[in-house]
Amino acid sequence: MNRHALIVLLLWLLLAVVGEFLVVRLAPGMFPVVAAEEGEIVDNAFTFLMILAVPVLAFVLATLLYSLASFRSRGTPSQDGPPIHTNRPVLFVWFLATIGLTALMIVHPGITGMRELADRADREPDLVVKVETMRFGWRITYPEQKINTFQELVLPVGKHVRFEVTSLDVLHAFWVPAFRMKIDAVPGMVTTVHATPNRTGGFQNDPNFRLQCAELCGIGHSVMQVPVRVVEQKEFDAWAAQQSKLARRSN
Amino acid sequence: MAAASGLKPILKGLSFALVGLLIGAGLGLLFTSLTNRPSTEPVIVLGYVFALLGWLLGVGLWDAWGREWVGLPVQGEAGHDWRRFFRFTTDHKIIGVQYLVTFVVVMLLAGIASVLMRVELMAPGKNILGPNEFNTTMSLHGIMMIAVAVATIIGGFANFLLPLMIGADDVAFPRINALSYWIIPPVAVLLLLTPFFGGFDSGWTAYPPLSVINAHGQLLFLLAFLTFGVSSILGGLNFLTTIIKLRAPGMTWGRLPIFVWSIFAAALISLTATQFVAYGLLMIILDRVVGMSFFRASEGGNPLLYEHIFWFYSHPAVYIMILPAFGIALEVLTHFSRKPLFAYKWVVGAFLGIVGLSFIVWAHHLYTSGMPNSLHIPFMVTTELISIPTGVVFLAALGTIWMGRLWLTTPMLFAIAFVFNFLIGGVTGIFLADVPTDIQLQDNYFVVAHFHYTIMGGEIFAIMAGLYYWFPKVTGRMYHEKLGKVHFWSMFLTYNVTFLAMFWAGIQGMNRRVADYIPDLAGINLFVSIASFFLAASFLILVYNLVRSWARGTVASASPWRARTLEWQTSSPPPLENFPHPPVVVGHPYDYGVPGSVHAAPAPVGGGSEDER
Repeated sequence: MNRHALIVLLLWLLLAVVGEFLVVRLAPGMFPVVAAEEGEIVDNAFTFLMILAVPVLAFVLATLLYSLASFRSRGTPSQDGPPIHTNRPVLFVWFLATIGLTALMIVHPGITGMRELADRADREPDLVVKVETMRFGWRITYPEQKINTFQELVLPVGKHVRFEVTSLDVLHAFWVPAFRMKIDAVPGMVTTVHATPNRTGGFQNDPNFRLQCAELCGIGHSVMQVPVRVVEQKEFDAWAAQQSKLARRSN
Repeated sequence: MAAASGLKPILKGLSFALVGLLIGAGLGLLFTSLTNRPSTEPVIVLGYVFALLGWLLGVGLWDAWGREWVGLPVQGEAGHDWRRFFRFTTDHKIIGVQYLVTFVVVMLLAGIASVLMRVELMAPGKNILGPNEFNTTMSLHGIMMIAVAVATIIGGFANFLLPLMIGADDVAFPRINALSYWIIPPVAVLLLLTPFFGGFDSGWTAYPPLSVINAHGQLLFLLAFLTFGVSSILGGLNFLTTIIKLRAPGMTWGRLPIFVWSIFAAALISLTATQFVAYGLLMIILDRVVGMSFFRASEGGNPLLYEHIFWFYSHPAVYIMILPAFGIALEVLTHFSRKPLFAYKWVVGAFLGIVGLSFIVWAHHLYTSGMPNSLHIPFMVTTELISIPTGVVFLAALGTIWMGRLWLTTPMLFAIAFVFNFLIGGVTGIFLADVPTDIQLQDNYFVVAHFHYTIMGGEIFAIMAGLYYWFPKVTGRMYHEKLGKVHFWSMFLTYNVTFLAMFWAGIQGMNRRVADYIPDLAGINLFVSIASFFLAASFLILVYNLVRSWARGTVASASPWRARTLEWQTSSPPPLENFPHPPVVVGHPYDYGVPGSVHAAPAPVGGGSEDER
């Protein structure tokens, strides 16, 4: 192995170690608050992909920086470089590495993460919430509790919730940043998305507890959002009872 | 007076267009009076179609084709002054310059749109644009930059340089080439008119049902995009035929410059995939104008169908943009490293592999669209497989500069920056190809940052490399090297600051295509906005350098870079017939450092380049 390759190898290792250290130290603090089990799967997948990305970035960066530093010619080059057309062992190792990395990331966090999400989605839901979208609001219905509201999305903590989403006009998307879950609302079709909130909280304290439209729907798209509140079961029951009383009164 | 005579074809085109507009609008009124439907949109469609035909006939189609067809004498080519750039000429070099100048202007206009957006986003709440104005500005920025990304390299660089690089005297269909250019001004006119027709708030993706029910500006956008698609299809056809049929003697497939291979690969996609988006757009137009219901759910239509048709084109389309960028970057890296292109044949294989894969990955845009979950794994697998051929391109780039004699001119700096930027674009693409992470990142600023890294950090940087690299060949003058380097460093640094920060905004939950956002995201948005203003300012250096150098730069020699490919073996700029003596190719274009190697020699007397036709 020649001197140049050895230096690049060391530079790569150095950059990769520093990079991995930063990822492991900084990753937990870089995400906004996560308030659902499904959201943790998403954040873990993100962190793992960063760990995979660091050596790739470090290798290209190390090679580029070293080449710029040591192969640059002052002014017009007076002669040509060595006529290297290709190099079989390098190609072989390169293919091995890229195919290996691709296979790894397809399996994990790709397929494993999807399996975890699918396993949760297959669970019997504790609560079903129907969401109908329209420009530019949300009609949120709790069929079992026989209540509906346009004001906020209230959910009990620790319960597996299935959202059945549809649209009354154009495409919209159901997105709660704190849950990391998203699905389009499509007219003429019911789409589903699941979340298991595992932390109480509300929009007042953290704006990631919001139901936000994430598919361009026209003039009011950016303000098409309502607060989300995750509360204890007791509080949820009290809220539901009050809502149905209000509904009866207005009838 | 001279100006008027120089602009005669354009004035003639405009007056024919006006006549066409009146005929079409009249027909529209006639039809709608019979069917009792609202008349505005049928009048717009028919008025536009006839105006487009009138424009094309007036500007040159009649003179170039019509007169010959009916047996009238055909008028000669335009002279050598500035007027030739305003005519329907068939010289690929003039058409190349027409494309380049047009799309640099479009790029600057779309850049101004992006500055307006960033001013609006500097602080939450309304600053300068209302929500509909913001949406229209955002949509215009999107479609204009898409057009720049699709057409600058194929229409501009490939037009000027590809026939030179393969030793031909023009493209295969010179008149169709002129047609593909002259059909573009109506596209620009339609897009710039959209704000006066209520704007369009659907983004460049134009998802129905929104695009079926919104203002008339949407219809203008759809017609513009459809017209632009026709230009792309014709361009693809022309370059494929040119590469297959017009290579100089000895220019075997294994000796094609890598830029030519990249155009071959992109033209394959351009010719075939563009037809899908054309049908999709046509179906929306029919939904709007004659009340069909392809995409109206209440009448049995399916909005998801459009998303599939749209991405069946628009994902391959990103490779129409990036493959030629690979071509330019590798071309520049090779010549300025003074070394052979590393693993040339593997790179060609990678290009063709990318073409194949590009057609079977489209639904990765639709993970959260409501399509069946069973489709997630197949599309994740095909998408992530693209890492393998793309990895070959990176290996070629690194292998080429390794041990080279790196000549760090402005184009070389841009080509190296391309490798760095596209690396970040590629790596962050994995986060979006992976289903669990994409559920959160879809439709937020992480996506915005990612595709700007691939298209702006990637392709636009490659276009910059190409602009500086071929500037002496195209204009016959050298650009100002110091200014070029100032432009490079200011653009490279401000670009990365702007778009790295956008990844952060996305992770923090900033969703895309919004005029307003929660106050918690104010800090990061102000930061991105300020950085983007510096980025925009760096383009002023480019414009000054190009204009100044074109007017009075030092005169360039035939081959200022001592590069081996054929475009440098003729004068700068090349004569009308490209090569005074048709060249014969005898060796590989990239054999730097191989003793005694030659790429091309002038043809022997009586040489047979004509036999090939």
